[in-house]
Amino acid sequence: MAANAKVVPGVMRQKPLTPWLYLSPALIVMTIFIVYPGLRTLYLSFRNVDDTAWASQACRAGEPCWGIFENYRYALTSDVMQTSLLNNLIWIILMVSGTVLIGLLIATLADRVKYEPIAKAIIFLPMAISFVGAGVIWKFVYDYGSSQVQVGIVNAIITALGGKPIAFLTVPGLNTICLIVVGVWMWTGFCMTILAAALKNVPEEILEAARIDGANEWEVFWKIMVPMIAPTITVVITTMIINVLKVFDIVYVMTGGNYGTDVIANRMYFEMYKNFQTGRGTAIAIVLVVLIVPVMIMNLRRFREQEASR
Amino acid sequence: MKSKFWQILAVLMVAAMILAACQPKETPTPAPPAQPTAAPVTPVSEIDCMGAQAGDVITMLYQWSGDEETKINTVLKPLVDACGLVIQPESTRDQALLDTKVQAGTPPDIAFWNVAQLVQYQDKLFAMDQLGAHGDSYADFFKSQGTVGGKWLGLPIKADVKTIIWYSPVIFELKGYTVPTTWAELDALVEKMVANGDVPWSMGMESGDATGWTGSDFIQDILLVQQGPEYVMDLISGEVAYNDAGVQQAYETYLKWAADAKYTVGGAQGTLSTGFNDAILKVFSDPPEAMMVKQSGFAGGTITGTYADLKYGTDYDFFPVPGAQGLQGGADWMMAFNDTPAVKALVAYLSSPLGGENWAKATFDLTPNKYGASAYTDPALLKKGQMLATTTGFTPDLGDTIPGGFGAAEWTAIVNTVNGQALKTNLDNVAKVQAEALAQ
Repeated sequence: MAANAKVVPGVMRQKPLTPWLYLSPALIVMTIFIVYPGLRTLYLSFRNVDDTAWASQACRAGEPCWGIFENYRYALTSDVMQTSLLNNLIWIILMVSGTVLIGLLIATLADRVKYEPIAKAIIFLPMAISFVGAGVIWKFVYDYGSSQVQVGIVNAIITALGGKPIAFLTVPGLNTICLIVVGVWMWTGFCMTILAAALKNVPEEILEAARIDGANEWEVFWKIMVPMIAPTITVVITTMIINVLKVFDIVYVMTGGNYGTDVIANRMYFEMYKNFQTGRGTAIAIVLVVLIVPVMIMNLRRFREQEASR
Repeated sequence: MKSKFWQILAVLMVAAMILAACQPKETPTPAPPAQPTAAPVTPVSEIDCMGAQAGDVITMLYQWSGDEETKINTVLKPLVDACGLVIQPESTRDQALLDTKVQAGTPPDIAFWNVAQLVQYQDKLFAMDQLGAHGDSYADFFKSQGTVGGKWLGLPIKADVKTIIWYSPVIFELKGYTVPTTWAELDALVEKMVANGDVPWSMGMESGDATGWTGSDFIQDILLVQQGPEYVMDLISGEVAYNDAGVQQAYETYLKWAADAKYTVGGAQGTLSTGFNDAILKVFSDPPEAMMVKQSGFAGGTITGTYADLKYGTDYDFFPVPGAQGLQGGADWMMAFNDTPAVKALVAYLSSPLGGENWAKATFDLTPNKYGASAYTDPALLKKGQMLATTTGFTPDLGDTIPGGFGAAEWTAIVNTVNGQALKTNLDNVAKVQAEALAQ
């Protein structure tokens, strides 16, 4: 022991302060860029429009009032925010299931063909495009020309086949679905890559054994592959939920949140930087964080389990 | 080896990004200061230097850049030449810069900004009549908008009008249509076009996250026709709620056209999906998709930008929204944070008949200065200048003037009602935002 102690330099010896020394760079950065802004956001969410009084001051006689939580009343009960919350729910259900299912399907199928790298590259390519770029591209795809000439490819095909053009981005209900398609197009590659890597890790012997025991490919997939990559699927799902909760770019670029397509993040941006309603903007930000945190904890826990089982 | 290369490349890229991020913010770009010429070339007797000495400096802040900056320098040159002033301008679109400078106690001598800043800085600004402004150069409705708490704080310096409708004189002549002079005539003309199988309006309003503003301009013009400028000012002050019967009537008039394929290109979905610039061009395409488009003065530039060989006056022209009492438009306001002789000389010059004329000659939009009205050299500006000189009221854009998200709420209501939602509930929503905004 004594001999060893001589070799280890003084600073590296375990003293009560040593861990803090190592942690300090990270702690300082986190304090400045995460903790302080986070607390400030929380504080502002209880303040009025320009941080001159508490939010309760904005209450008006004869209308419901949540006192100091007035901004949260807006963030949770106002018409626009309810639309946004509902839209985010639709986004989660459709986009997460869409990306994960299509990603899994392609990962499985690509595993069995010779041109696997090309197939995967094509699916993954949209990830390389910026979200704003993708939004602009798809805005053209969905373009609705009021004249005889259709610039948008979808409407061009529809009219060429003798149909009537559809205003994809302005018809309520349909438009949110059309936006989700863009999201799925962008993120399927991400899900596919991770799931494909997990599938490659399933030991060949087990699959071989199952086949010898008489299982068909369908059974091999559902009863062996899927259970074996279940932890990865969960991680992908939770990551996607977090991504979708924060969705902003596609909506902002393609509809600006109009025609009933608004989502939480877009609403937050509008209240903050268009309407200059700092209190409401920060309250929406806090609501978004509160929604994301449980998913994130679940994600972390899964991740740890996975690491532990390695 | 290969992975090493990529590692190095990645490190380099990150380093480059960090370096780029550390670059100083580009705005504001200090504009080249207008240099005084060595000696006054011509004796300019009309310019009163108000005791300013050669070499006196005026600092200014404005939002103009590029071509606009050349034009303001053209306007100021006679003053600079006559009095030997040194102008130190700064150009930015960032209002935070003005706010920071004022809060730091180092405001520019002169700022050219929006009417809202007159209220915001009413305690810091010098009154225009103290600075020697020629008050008789301006119509009363302009002076009253620049007056805060009984003091005339802002000089309206540049204006543009929105209450105009663009059309093609050639097509009108070909089809036997005449320019209407009353709202009833416009209504009759629209019906006549529909009966002839023409689409009267191109109303596309798509504009990204600002979709709807074209509609709000149109509705405000209808309000000027049906109710007049007082009513619009009362909406701004909150005396009239946005769900008032008058507003509702204006929306109904608008929606009759904007949501029907007989009256506008593509009907409701066409109005919502067509970009506002495309909407302008549809009137001048061959063959035209529509007969008229209501749009601000900038539309002329959009038309010639795409159809370079079209001539103003024959191929494209505009007429005032018929029956509108007063105009809708935007104005830049000059405000003074200092009362040095040089500032006084500038205020006196720009508000003088000569200043008005020189502004008009510089083709820098319109000058609210009465004496500029007949000095415009550009025929389109001359026509707009006459409109401005003879109007009885000038109302700013509702959405730009009421704070706290009113503008966005107004656009949402327009988009929703064109898209078929109930008018009443949407106007109630906007009225709620209006009340909240004005209570703050």
